[in-house]
Amino acid sequence: MGDLLLCGDAVVRSADALLRANGGRAALLRMPAPAVAGNDAEQLGLTAPQFQDAELSPVLFRRAESATTLLVSASAVMAVVGSLKFNSAEVLFETAAGVVIDEVLYAIVSSVASVWDGEPYSYCLTLRAPDR
Amino acid sequence: MAVSRLEASGGEVQNAKDTFYELLRSRIAAGNLERTIVVRGQTRPGVLVEENELVTTATLPDCFRLRWTAAGVDTANALPLVALGCEILYETAGSAENGGMDRGRALAAMDAELTAAINASPQFAAKQNYAGLASGGGVVAMNTNVWWGNVVFGAAVGKGDRVARTATVTVMSYEEAGEL
Repeated sequence: MGDLLLCGDAVVRSADALLRANGGRAALLRMPAPAVAGNDAEQLGLTAPQFQDAELSPVLFRRAESATTLLVSASAVMAVVGSLKFNSAEVLFETAAGVVIDEVLYAIVSSVASVWDGEPYSYCLTLRAPDR
Repeated sequence: MAVSRLEASGGEVQNAKDTFYELLRSRIAAGNLERTIVVRGQTRPGVLVEENELVTTATLPDCFRLRWTAAGVDTANALPLVALGCEILYETAGSAENGGMDRGRALAAMDAELTAAINASPQFAAKQNYAGLASGGGVVAMNTNVWWGNVVFGAAVGKGDRVARTATVTVMSYEEAGEL
């Protein structure tokens, strides 16, 4: 079991190294601020939450005619999942308002995890650029 | 009888909508303390109003999602009588420890909770104005009631690994001066 955990951890580190070596950069995941406990005004739509940006690094950003994608390190994603108390990376991405890259807010269309030994080592996000 | 359509947005009928949501949420929570959801890091009773939440692609399972639909007003009375359509959507994948094989039972449990919450007497509540909460104020009791009929269940439908259902209920209230 220990070997398996070490193996999964090694793959995550390898993925991080590859992302950095191939021009890895940082992106900002724009999240609505945590809800206020027992706040009826928020639940009734009377007040809006603030937004906060969480850094994802390293990431690889690719913008093409057919699709805009962001390859994100799983270790960076898990750090945000833990700090914001989400159940999973999928819920995190579904809840996010988008990803800020070069001061442009992209909507997250879908997320796919790449998994080794049951442990994700990277996430591929399909993004949608804002309407102009 | 003069009946017209209302735009179900803005300030119109908002007090009736808010009052019904607050009451349904408290009844669901009283019926099953474990019926909770986590929204933006906070645990709360498993009832939400879709139009009051941030737009998201996520559909939370094991909770009741209220969606306000049609609204009609009968102006033949001394006070306009408003009827609001409310869809209550919910879905479940069952429990992981049972491999989802109990999703039918989980849906039936949600059916029972909803029936108990909506069909239980009294099927009315004093209408409240919650607008003051936005500025740190309090809730103001109004002079009229909100009341509703029995819940009507739609067919259960498969939705990936989940089974889902939409129930409907009609919520009515008299609109007081300044509400329309």
